[in-house]
Amino acid sequence: MTEFYTVKRIDNSRLARPTAANRMRELARLVAMGGLLAGVALLYAWQHFQCIQLRYQLEELKAERAQVGELNQQLKLEVAGLRSPMRIDAIARRELGLSVPVPGQVAPTQGPADGVLAQVRAISPSARQ
Amino acid sequence: MDWRSPRVRILLVSVLALVWMGAALARLSYLQLFQYGDYLARAQRQQQRIVEVSPRRGILYDRNLRELAMSVQVDSSFAVPVEIADPPMAARLLAGVLGTSPEEIETRLSSSRSFVWVARKLSPEKVERIQALNLRGVYFQKENQRFYPHRELAAHVLGYVDIDEKGLGGVEYALDKQIRGKPGRMLVLADARRRWFDRSEHAAGSGANVVLTLDQNIQYIAEKELAEAARQSRALAGTIVVQDPLTGELLAVANWPPFNPNAPADSGPESRMNRAIGALYEPGSTFKVVTLAAALEEGITRPEEVIDCQMGAIYIAGHRIRDHKPFGLLTVSQIMSESSDVGAIKLGLRLGAPKLFQYMRAFGFGSPTGVDLPGENRGLLRRVENWTPISVGSISMGQEIGVTPVQLTSAVSAIANGGLLVRPRAVREIRRGLEVIPVPAPEPHRVISPQTAATLRSMLEGVVLQGTGMLARLDGYTAAGKTGTAQKIDPATGRYSPTQHIASFVGFAPINSPAVTILISLDSPVGRYHGGEVAAPVFKRVAEQVLSYLNVPHDVPISPRLQEAALRSKKNNPIADVSDFTPAQLEQADDAVAEASQPAQPWLPRSAPTVALAPARPGLAEGEGIPVPSFSGKSVRQVTEECLRLGLNPVLVGTGVATEQSPAAGELFRRGGRVMVRFARRASLVGTSVRGN
Repeated sequence: MTEFYTVKRIDNSRLARPTAANRMRELARLVAMGGLLAGVALLYAWQHFQCIQLRYQLEELKAERAQVGELNQQLKLEVAGLRSPMRIDAIARRELGLSVPVPGQVAPTQGPADGVLAQVRAISPSARQ
Repeated sequence: MDWRSPRVRILLVSVLALVWMGAALARLSYLQLFQYGDYLARAQRQQQRIVEVSPRRGILYDRNLRELAMSVQVDSSFAVPVEIADPPMAARLLAGVLGTSPEEIETRLSSSRSFVWVARKLSPEKVERIQALNLRGVYFQKENQRFYPHRELAAHVLGYVDIDEKGLGGVEYALDKQIRGKPGRMLVLADARRRWFDRSEHAAGSGANVVLTLDQNIQYIAEKELAEAARQSRALAGTIVVQDPLTGELLAVANWPPFNPNAPADSGPESRMNRAIGALYEPGSTFKVVTLAAALEEGITRPEEVIDCQMGAIYIAGHRIRDHKPFGLLTVSQIMSESSDVGAIKLGLRLGAPKLFQYMRAFGFGSPTGVDLPGENRGLLRRVENWTPISVGSISMGQEIGVTPVQLTSAVSAIANGGLLVRPRAVREIRRGLEVIPVPAPEPHRVISPQTAATLRSMLEGVVLQGTGMLARLDGYTAAGKTGTAQKIDPATGRYSPTQHIASFVGFAPINSPAVTILISLDSPVGRYHGGEVAAPVFKRVAEQVLSYLNVPHDVPISPRLQEAALRSKKNNPIADVSDFTPAQLEQADDAVAEASQPAQPWLPRSAPTVALAPARPGLAEGEGIPVPSFSGKSVRQVTEECLRLGLNPVLVGTGVATEQSPAAGELFRRGGRVMVRFARRASLVGTSVRGN
């Protein structure tokens, strides 16, 4: 018996595929959740790497602070050396031609210029007698 | 099974994926569950570093918070030997920069250790040169280094530190625990490039800052004058101590020879010794102050009592003791001013050994003063039982006893302040951050009565005015003191050396309100060796500068002739000080100078209270109201004199110049009434500094 293979042409192009609204909503929800999860993961990763970067910055700032503090200390040392009485004395004598004040050149002041001296209530001469 | 079937293919891929995932999961589980500890430790070793944080030593300040010692970070070079490919070559290059032997460095670079120092605390220039070598395995590390910006200034008080910043002398040693601080640790996370990105730290406790009682400028004055005196007299050693007699605070402690604490190894132990507290010497005649204080306090003599000084010789226990001059009859005051040994011995014998010993102990001799500096010598004072028959006589004139300069300064301060012995101190307060921990002031104890102290002050003034200490007479200030010339024991013979002496002077000024007690001691001066010749002029120079610096008002008029002579001299020699002149020398000044001084000095205000007293007021009848003068700006002595002249009864409070008075100036007040005047120390520089030409 001879078998015949016949091609049955089916044309579905004219069929309209009905859209399942529930299915689409589920799909959208799934995609949104996936996106959210991916976003959270990305945010976490971003935060993590940002935190590391900030740590680097913080360490750099700490090192800078330490350097500035050290520079301050070195400048204090330099100032102390520049204020040395030995150095000032030498400059005053040799370069500026100054000398130690003679006795009397440094004199006590004449009391406070704008102050009021302590006073007692004035007693009239009649009251005293 | 059809391998081309989609279902089979899907199944195959799924199985493979499952196997791969299972394998990965198994490996992950193995790593996380079984190898977790090992890998964690390995990661920590790579990422974490523990850094020791050495504490910074505290700053040493003078009393005006000027830095005397502080630490800053410098670079030290170290090497990791395993990283160095060619140690001999590296050693040669490093030795060229460091100036050390290549063999020494090579030995270190070839060691099996993981860390070796190449050189510590390098100068910036050397660091740059080593960096330029670009040697693999050679690194740098920051370390603290102690610096003393004023070099030799106050070095003996400050002390010094070793390479590890451990205090080895002076305040650095005495307060090392507080100044040093506590080391800290830091756990650092580093990436593959060794960049730090996180840390957790146990912070280092910074060392406490210490405020000393020293004054940088007074210290400089003392050291400058001591150096000059030592050079002129060619003395082997010397000491100047400046003390506030009221509080016991040491304002300056100068020693000769000096040393630089920045490089302590460059000087020997003799130079580093703080002689002011550690060196013993026989005080000689300066000790007569104690003998006479004891005699006066015990009431066995009076200043005006006449004592036969036997023309300069006395026999004690078969020993003949000769005076430096053949004195006949002298009052006790003259015994002090002329420094008669025989007179002092007679008073000592009258006092007796137990009493003399008792007063010496009361004045603090034979025991440490308790000054807060290391290395204090307690002195040499034998117990009475061990005294020989001649001891009373010897000790009365300052022999057979060993004292330190600070002991003697404190004893004289007790006379200056009215009879109270105050423990000397060098540390004022300790500062830890914002917290200020004051060092409690020592409790003074009475040694002699105020009356005895006043009598002694008057007698010691006589030493300066007409006695052996005339070269110590100050211009513009009253002063009191005592000279001393002690023979040194010759170690070779065990006897007093005829050629080696210790010249000293100890005194205070001004007399009525002492601001400073100053001791000068010069060991083995060459040529002139008497205390009155060598040490007394140093007292004058130091005291005049220090009193002026402290704004202590003049209590006696300044000699205009001295000023003129000083200025004239400056024209010829700009470097000369006015302190080169003494009132005694001035007596011989030429008449031309005296005439030239008659016009008012342009640099001196006409109203300056130190120039002259106010003109005398006409006398007033008994019971008549007296207009109270203005005392503002006047000294204690001036106020007292003016009050007594006007018949007023002065009540004086404080020291310095008058700032307040009651009744007010200009008021009419009854004769004999009490006028209260308050004093405070305050001054200003009048005019500008004087140019030498």
